[in-house]
Amino acid sequence: MTREKKALGAAILASGLALGGAFVFGKTLQQQARADSHQQPAVAETWLFSPPAPSPEMAVAGQKLFLNSCAHCHGADAHGDEGPDLHGVQVSDRRIVNVIKNGIQGEMPSFAKKHSEAEIAELLAYVRSLN
Amino acid sequence: MDSEFWAKIHGASTHLPLALAGCSWLFDAAGLALARRPAGPQLNIAGYWTMLLAGLGTFPAVASGLLMTKGQMLGHDLVRFHHLFVWPAFGLLVGLATWRAMVGTMTRRGVFGCYLAVGFTAAALVAGAGYFGGEMLLGH
Repeated sequence: MTREKKALGAAILASGLALGGAFVFGKTLQQQARADSHQQPAVAETWLFSPPAPSPEMAVAGQKLFLNSCAHCHGADAHGDEGPDLHGVQVSDRRIVNVIKNGIQGEMPSFAKKHSEAEIAELLAYVRSLN
Repeated sequence: MDSEFWAKIHGASTHLPLALAGCSWLFDAAGLALARRPAGPQLNIAGYWTMLLAGLGTFPAVASGLLMTKGQMLGHDLVRFHHLFVWPAFGLLVGLATWRAMVGTMTRRGVFGCYLAVGFTAAALVAGAGYFGGEMLLGH
């Protein structure tokens, strides 16, 4: 076997190992992020207001707000982009509202100044309508 | 460390392998074209080392990208396009650097021509990944 052929075999092996290693590393990080995102809110994250029961009208209004404020990271279809997929989220309304209001340090900004409580309730209705 | 930190590291670490891969291809193509002149072998030595460094440089670039996105390997919209270029480019660059490390600075002209063709493909993929990476930051 020539030197070039041996090198080709090694190159294919190295490529496979590099891509496989990246895949395993990525999956590990995904699992870690998923675990972090399902942590319970801290005591300081209090339930500041009770959003009204979601209605289809609120969900429609929430979708407009979502497209302006959230689609950049969560994708226009809310299937995730830089941020996670929001379809079928398995967290409480309280958790969703707290994340929108307070953000997640280093991951997501707070929208407390940008959106009123009524608007956050509409965003919540839209997120719930994705289920 | 948070995503903002890794975003900075990703920005800092991606441009070096991108530039090295492009320079390596140019050095080697020039070295092949000037093979009978004194500068030819020298250019191939430069192409050899820049390719090895480009191959090594891809690891921090990919690792910081994965840490920044919390392990997202495909995603949607521009991130998806970015990744569709990144993964083949990463595999090709690691493979090319490994091949080059074993073969040395120069080999048979025909085989080296094939290496350059694959190297051009890798450089084009890296450029595509860089384009969509830039679009994510500046395109909206």
